[in-house]
Amino acid sequence: MKLFRHIFFTLVWISFSVPLSAQISPGELSQAHAQLEGISNCTQCHTVGSKVTREKCLACHKEIKDNIVAGKGYHASSDVQGKVCSACHNEHHGRTFNIIRFNKDKFDHAKTGFKLQGEHAKQDCKACHKPEFIQNPKLKKKSGTYLGLNQQCTTCHLDFHQGKLPNCTDCHNFNTFKNAKRFDHKKTRFPLLGKHQTVGCVECHKTTGINGKKVQNFAGLKFDNCNACHKDVHNNRLGQNCKECHQESSFHDIKGMSTFDHDRTGYKLVGKHKLVECRECHKTSLTAPLKHAHCTDCHEDYHKKQFAVNGVSPDCNACHSVYGFKPSDFTIERHNKTKFKLENAHAATSCFECHHKGEEWSFRNIGERCVDCHTNVHKDKMDEKFMPNEDCTVCHSTKSWDVPVFDHDKTGFKLEGAHAKEKCNACHYPKDEKGVKNQIFNGLSQKCSACHKDNHVGQFAVNGQTDCTRCHGVDDWHNSKFDHNTSRFKIDGQHVGVKCEACHKTVINKKGTYVEYKFDNIGCSRCHKDLSKL
Amino acid sequence: MIAGISFTYIGRTYYQLPEELRFEHPMYNLLKPSGFVGHGLGIAGTAFILIGLFSYMVRKRMRIFYEWGKLKYWLEFHIFMCTLGTVLILFHTSFKFGGIVSVGFWSLAIVWISGVAGRFIYIRIPRTIEGRELSVNELQKLKNEMDNDLQKRYGITISNIGKNNFSNIKLKLIENKIPAGDFSKVRKLIRRERILQKRINQLDKMRKLFNYWHVLHLPFALIMLIILVIHVSVVLFFGYKWVF
Repeated sequence: MKLFRHIFFTLVWISFSVPLSAQISPGELSQAHAQLEGISNCTQCHTVGSKVTREKCLACHKEIKDNIVAGKGYHASSDVQGKVCSACHNEHHGRTFNIIRFNKDKFDHAKTGFKLQGEHAKQDCKACHKPEFIQNPKLKKKSGTYLGLNQQCTTCHLDFHQGKLPNCTDCHNFNTFKNAKRFDHKKTRFPLLGKHQTVGCVECHKTTGINGKKVQNFAGLKFDNCNACHKDVHNNRLGQNCKECHQESSFHDIKGMSTFDHDRTGYKLVGKHKLVECRECHKTSLTAPLKHAHCTDCHEDYHKKQFAVNGVSPDCNACHSVYGFKPSDFTIERHNKTKFKLENAHAATSCFECHHKGEEWSFRNIGERCVDCHTNVHKDKMDEKFMPNEDCTVCHSTKSWDVPVFDHDKTGFKLEGAHAKEKCNACHYPKDEKGVKNQIFNGLSQKCSACHKDNHVGQFAVNGQTDCTRCHGVDDWHNSKFDHNTSRFKIDGQHVGVKCEACHKTVINKKGTYVEYKFDNIGCSRCHKDLSKL
Repeated sequence: MIAGISFTYIGRTYYQLPEELRFEHPMYNLLKPSGFVGHGLGIAGTAFILIGLFSYMVRKRMRIFYEWGKLKYWLEFHIFMCTLGTVLILFHTSFKFGGIVSVGFWSLAIVWISGVAGRFIYIRIPRTIEGRELSVNELQKLKNEMDNDLQKRYGITISNIGKNNFSNIKLKLIENKIPAGDFSKVRKLIRRERILQKRINQLDKMRKLFNYWHVLHLPFALIMLIILVIHVSVVLFFGYKWVF
């Protein structure tokens, strides 16, 4: 009876002490396994006779098993191999026990197959291991899980390039997203050369909108032609192959200057223009539009508006060509259409003789009279009546200066015989003792001696004056009209036919060398020898 | 006592940790209930308790063992073994109390505490040296013998002493020309007489209490044993065999 009473009390005690369902558990399971609480669930984890085996764990935790089989993740590492799960994930330590426990600061993440580098190493675990980044819906619901992430950057990071680029780590390192430190443009199909190296990425890789997000476009850029990025400042006049002339060092550093075909521009280079340095015309930029309709768009008006009509100068090509500024295309024919026709010698005269008398060319108001260009050499040397108003044309013409046309009769000294054949300067430009010609028009005597020398050294002078015309005519000096019979010695007898010099010998004395015509002694002995004295 | 102090010292840092943090402790694998030391303590403690319990039960309840030593010593052995076993079990639990095992443990604790209380009650019920309870008459007779002894030898009537302190008694002894060397004997006799009187007065009460104590001590011991069987069975079932 006593024993029954004891058993009764025992059963009552057991019944009311704790719930039967948890009677044999050594402690509460963690929250993660809370659903396995209860006496009927022991064998869910425990193997009869073998404690807790990993097979039981992995039967439920298929995601871990899959990783182990695939050799992925920390559970496939050497740290975990050969261990039972409960060695790390122990149980029955209470509901609040964290079954996933490790030293976060010392955990070697490299053993998961994903080494934490750069900024990754500084982040808290939860920065990546959070439900938002987990794709698997089952794992997503598991709070605190470290599973469910893959090594793709876009698992955690927003795909800044919206799927346009393949692998983030090809360009970016783990320290900073900006600047794409791993990216080497040289390894692309478009290595950056010259100025391209200093251009900001966004200049070529424009930001566009994809799926409502701003995306910088790095892929699929066309670069077979410079015009893909650059504006064709030549408006396709020079074709599409910019590299024929330009290079990356600078748009203005033209490599094909010598071979550049300027004819493809709107201005064909002809003549001297072919030899001109580009910069002579393209002062600022080779591509900057240049006016080229008029020569003065580049050239100065050399003539300083001398040809301007109503303030507007005609274009240079009216007179000049691109083959050279000199000579001018202003022909004699065109000159003859002006008020001053070029005739005779003027036609052969260089332009500058008239138009460049000073330091500069002058085309306007240079005068039309001879003396505007020529020096009046007769000024004060010739009587006004023979050259009124300094008009050269009274005597001279454009045909020849040396052959003036002048009616010498007006001077009162008619030119006859040999005089008519002589040049003017034979009388009007006599040489002095020093051989210098001196012009003389005014005051020139009409006497023969004014021009001629008295070869007879005054033998025929009468009262000191020798009248040449007594013997000589103007036709021929040697054809004398002297009649010997009018002299003191008549020619007759044997004297007829005797040569003059037989009697009139050339003598040389202090008067000079001359033929002696006048004898003081006209006796026979003058010429003949006294035979008696022989 | 020594075992308790030793394990407390060795595992002090471990046992002080909350349950959730113990897994990280370097001695976890040793001191956890299924650890080498922890499990060993459980087996040893269980063995101590079972030996202490069943040896005493067998000696006390089975006639064939009536001649096996005095029951008083078996009780001492029983108390020693079960107390030591309880201490070992306490460290086996690593002070983690939950589930049916905790029921077993708390049952053990109650059994142990009730044992201590029972011991207190037990000694207040005067017995023969074999352990047989003395009747009131036997006790009264003993008391009378003591009273007569005091009266005859030292001239002290216990009923006249009242609650006077021993200084008054000493004066009385001096007055009765009792040698000073006997003062301590007198004092002991008086104390025993008073204790006996007290036991006689409380005998009925203590007998009732002891009766109730049995209702407490035994059922919980039974509960403990049942749970022990379940606990050990489950442990063995799942393959936790310590070093075996």
